Amino acid sequence: MGEQKSETEGYVGQSVRTIEGRAPVMGKATYTNDINFPGQLHAHILRSPHAAANIQSIDTSGAEKVAGVVRVVTGAQAAEHIDPIPHYIDPAVFGGRSASIRCLALDHVWCFGQPVAVVVAEDKRTARYAASRIVVDYEVTTPVIDSEDALKDDAPMVVPGWDANMIMQVPFGGGDVAQAFSSADRVIKTDVKVHRFSTQPIETRTYNGVYDAGTDSVTLYGTVQNPHPLRNVLSKILRMPENKIRVHAPVIGGAFGMKMHGHPEEGLVCFLSKLIGQPVKWVEDREECLLIGAREQVHSVELAVTKDGTILGLKDHYLANTGAPSSCPGWGMAFLTGLTMPGPYAVTNLDVQLSAVVTNKPGWNASRGYGKEVTALALELSVDNAARELGIDPVDMRMRNFIKKDQFPYDSPTGLIYDSGDYAGVMQKALDAIGYDEWKVKQEKAREEGRYLGIGVGFELTPEGGTLPGTFVAGYDSSTVRVAPDGSVRVLTGVTTPGSGNPTGIAQIVADELGVRLNTIEVVQGDTTTCPYGFGNSSGRSTIVGGGSAAKAAIEVREKIIKVAAALMEVDEESVSMKDGIIASGDKTIDLEEVCYACYTRAYDVGSVIEPPLEATAMFKPGLVRHTPNEKGQINPYPSYSNAAYVAISEVDVNTGEVKLLKFSVAHDCGNVINPILVEGQACGAIMFGIGAAMAENITFDENGRQLTKNFMDYVMPRIGDVPSIDLSHHDSPNPVNYKGLKGAGEAGVGGSAAAIVNSVNNALTPFGVMMTETPLTAPRVWSAIQAAKKAQPQRKVA
Amino acid sequence: MEDMLEDTVLVNLRINGKLHELEIPAHKSLLDLLRDDLNMTGTHMGCMTGHCGACTVSIDGRVAKSCITLAATLGRAKITTIEGLTQDDGELSPVQQAFWDEAGFQCAFCAPGMLMCTTELLDANPDPSDAEIETALAGNLCRCTGYQSLRRAVKAAAKLKQNTREAAE
Ligand code: FES
Ligand code: FES
Repeated sequence: MGEQKSETEGYVGQSVRTIEGRAPVMGKATYTNDINFPGQLHAHILRSPHAAANIQSIDTSGAEKVAGVVRVVTGAQAAEHIDPIPHYIDPAVFGGRSASIRCLALDHVWCFGQPVAVVVAEDKRTARYAASRIVVDYEVTTPVIDSEDALKDDAPMVVPGWDANMIMQVPFGGGDVAQAFSSADRVIKTDVKVHRFSTQPIETRTYNGVYDAGTDSVTLYGTVQNPHPLRNVLSKILRMPENKIRVHAPVIGGAFGMKMHGHPEEGLVCFLSKLIGQPVKWVEDREECLLIGAREQVHSVELAVTKDGTILGLKDHYLANTGAPSSCPGWGMAFLTGLTMPGPYAVTNLDVQLSAVVTNKPGWNASRGYGKEVTALALELSVDNAARELGIDPVDMRMRNFIKKDQFPYDSPTGLIYDSGDYAGVMQKALDAIGYDEWKVKQEKAREEGRYLGIGVGFELTPEGGTLPGTFVAGYDSSTVRVAPDGSVRVLTGVTTPGSGNPTGIAQIVADELGVRLNTIEVVQGDTTTCPYGFGNSSGRSTIVGGGSAAKAAIEVREKIIKVAAALMEVDEESVSMKDGIIASGDKTIDLEEVCYACYTRAYDVGSVIEPPLEATAMFKPGLVRHTPNEKGQINPYPSYSNAAYVAISEVDVNTGEVKLLKFSVAHDCGNVINPILVEGQACGAIMFGIGAAMAENITFDENGRQLTKNFMDYVMPRIGDVPSIDLSHHDSPNPVNYKGLKGAGEAGVGGSAAAIVNSVNNALTPFGVMMTETPLTAPRVWSAIQAAKKAQPQRKVA
Repeated sequence: MEDMLEDTVLVNLRINGKLHELEIPAHKSLLDLLRDDLNMTGTHMGCMTGHCGACTVSIDGRVAKSCITLAATLGRAKITTIEGLTQDDGELSPVQQAFWDEAGFQCAFCAPGMLMCTTELLDANPDPSDAEIETALAGNLCRCTGYQSLRRAVKAAAKLKQNTREAAE
C-alpha cells in the first residue's frame, strides 16, 4: 500500500492510499463548521410545528429583546430582498406541476419543520433561545400525510392553487402487455411498500455566508456537492450576478445526495450576511437533518409468468410520497424508479406508471441510489414472491430472465440503452463466493435444530453518470492540469468529493497519463473561483468524468513536456519516454524539473517548440446518452450501467423477531477499477445503507404529520456489530464508451442489498409461510408476521 | 432585556499535555469548549445527543463523548483529543498510520472517535478479537465505510504497534 507500486504497472488499478494524506487522521482536515471569521454570527431557524397551517401573524419582539440578538427576519421581510429558490430539477421542464419555494414561508406552511423565521445572534445558544421567544399565530388546517389519501377527491390541496396533489404522472413501457397477461400461466401480484429513510451523513449540513461590502460580493462556504450550479441558484435568489458570488466547499463529511442544493438555508445565510454586513453561519442539528426524506413508495407489481418462471410481462402502477414541494432534486428519484424498470430482466411487455404525489410531510432530497434502489426492491421482492408461488428456486428464476450478455448494448422498453453487462455471470460469482449450495445444506441442518437460517439474493442495476436536458444534472465535466516550473502537478476539477476518495482516483489517472509520481500531484476541487466549471458530485459520475477530463488534459500537457525534453536532449520526440517523473531517450535521461523549468523560462529557444504555460483544460462527455427523444418520446439519460448481485445469509430468532446477518457477498460490475480499496469502501458503504434500509432506519410521523423521528435513538443506523463481513468480487464488463471503461462505483448497492436481506428473512421463515414485502423488517414487525402466519395457518406443522 | 449571561467556573485542565486555565460557563459542553473557544476543530459534532461518537475524546484515560460532558465539571482532568495522537516527533501514531494505510475512513468525519476508541482499546488489549473490536467501537457511527475497512484498520494498527514494540526491545 501507499505510494509504492510494482515497477512495470501504473497507478491505475492499485490500492494506493488517499492523497489527502495525514490531515484526516491528525484532526487537521478543514470542514465547513471548522471555519469561523472575525465577527462571526450564528443563525437559528424557527420551524413550523404543524404540517399544514396558515400563518396569521408573527410577533418577533420577544426575540429582539434578548441580549446578543442581532437581527430577526420573517418570511415576509425576507421576500422584500430575495426571490424564490430555483429548482434543481424543475418539474415544469418535464410538464409537471411546479411550486414556488421560498427560503422562509410567507403566509402558509405545508410541512412540519418548514422554516418560518430566523434569528441571527452573537452565539448559537442565544440564537436558539431567542427563536423560542418568537410567537407565531397559526391557523392549523388538515394535513394530508398518506399518498393514497392525497389522491382522494376530497383531499385538501398541499399546494394552494394546485388542482391535484400530484407533481406528475408518467407512464413507462411498451410492448403488448394485454397479450402477455392473457397468455401467461399465472399472474402473481406483490405489494411492495418502501418506507421513508434518508442518507444521514455524520456531518450535518452547514453554511457560512460571508458578504464583502467593498466588492459587493458574497462567498458561501458550505457542505455543497455541486458548487457551480449552486452559484447560479444563489444568483437568482440574491438578485446578484454570478461573478459576484463564490461557492466554496471545504472537506465534506459524507453527503450521499443530501448535500445537493435547493435547501433554504443556502441562500438564507448569504442574504443575512449581506443584510447585516457580517458573516452568518448556520449549522443543522440532527433533528433538522432527519426532516429530509426520500424513497417512500407504494408498489403493486404484477408479474405475468409461465409455469417455468419466464416473465412475459410486468405491470406496476406506483405512488411516491415525495412530501411537500422542495427545490432539491429529491422528487426526481421517483421518476428514475420507473425509468429503470424492468431492471436486469429481459421483459419487453411493460406497463409501469409513476404518480409523484405531494403530501404535507417534509420534502425529499437526493439519496444514494436515486430511486433505482426502490426499483431493485420492488423487482427483487416480487421475483422472490413469484418464485415461491411457482415453487422454483429464486436464483433459477433470475437466471432464466436476465438479459443475456450477448444482447448488449440493450434497448430497454423505457428507452434506456444498457451499455454492457453479464448479469448471470455477476450473480454466479456472488453465489460462488458465499457458497450458496453449502448454505442450503446448512439451512436444512439448522432447521432440524429449530434454528431459522435464511438465504436471500438481490440484483441491482444502477445506471450512473446521469444527465437530464435543461437541468444542471449534466453528463460532462472539465478539469485543468497544471505543471509548475518545479515539475509538481496541480489538478483542478469541476467534480467534487463527498469524502469518497475520488481525488485519489483522479490523481492516479493523471499520474499514469502524465508519467509522474503520484505524490507530486495535488487535486483541487469544490471552489467556483479556482476550479473549471463543473457539476460536482452526483450519480456516481465523479471518477468517470473527472478522471476522463483530467486524463485528456494530462495527455496534452505531457506532449508539451516531451517536445521540450526532446529539444533539450537533442533527440527525436518519438524516442522520448516519461514515466514516474523520469524522462528518457535511449540511455539519456533528463530531470523532469529541468524540462519544466525550461518550458517556462526558455520560450525563445528550446522552449519555443511549445506554447507555455504547462497547462491544459479538457472536457469529458461520455457517449451513449440520447437526449433527442426517440419515436416513443423516450430519452436515455445514462452513459453507464453498473450492476451487482448480493447474497445475504441471515438468522431469525422466531421468538423475538430479531434478525442477525451472518454473511454477505457481493459481485460488482463497475467497469474497470481505478483503486480497489476505495471501490471496496464504496460497495461496503452502500451495503451498510441497504442493511439499515432493510432492518431499521425509518422516519415516522404522527397522524397530524408531526415528525416523531428526532435523533439517532429514533433513527437507528447500523453499527459495527450489525454489519457482517462482506465478501466482494468484481465481474467487470468495461463500458465501451467511457474513459478506461469506467462505469461508476458510488451509488449501487442500497436496493440490491436491502432486497437480499428481506428475501433472506422470508426465506428463513418459509416454514411459517411468511412473506414480508413492507420495509423495514424491524424485530416487532417480523415477530408480528410470524404470529399472524401461525394464526392463519394453524394446521401447518412448524418444525 | 433578557440576557443569557450565566455564572462561570474556573477550571484547570490539561489538554494534549498543555495546561489551560479557563473560566467556563456552567452550560458549556466540552465539545463546544474545544471547538469554539480553543479552536481545536479535530473533534467533530454529529448529533449533540451522545449517539454518533464523532465527538469522542479521552478524559483521564477513558473515552468519553464530549458533546454530553459539561466542561465545567472537568477540574484537573487530563484530556486527549485527536490532535494529541500524533507523536512528539511529528510521526503518526500506529493507529493513525494504520487507518490511513487501510482506508479506515472515507470522509473522516467519524475519524476522531474511531481513532480515540481504537487507541484506548489497543492500549489495554494489544491483540483484540473481532468481538472486542465491535464492543470498543459500538458507540461510534460511520456512515461511509460499512465498517469493513475499519475492522481491518484496527487489526493493522494492532500489528503495527506490536512491530514497533518489538523493534524497541
Ligand atoms: S456529537 Fe457527541 S455523540 Fe454525536
Ligand atoms: S468515514 Fe465518513 S463517517 Fe466514517
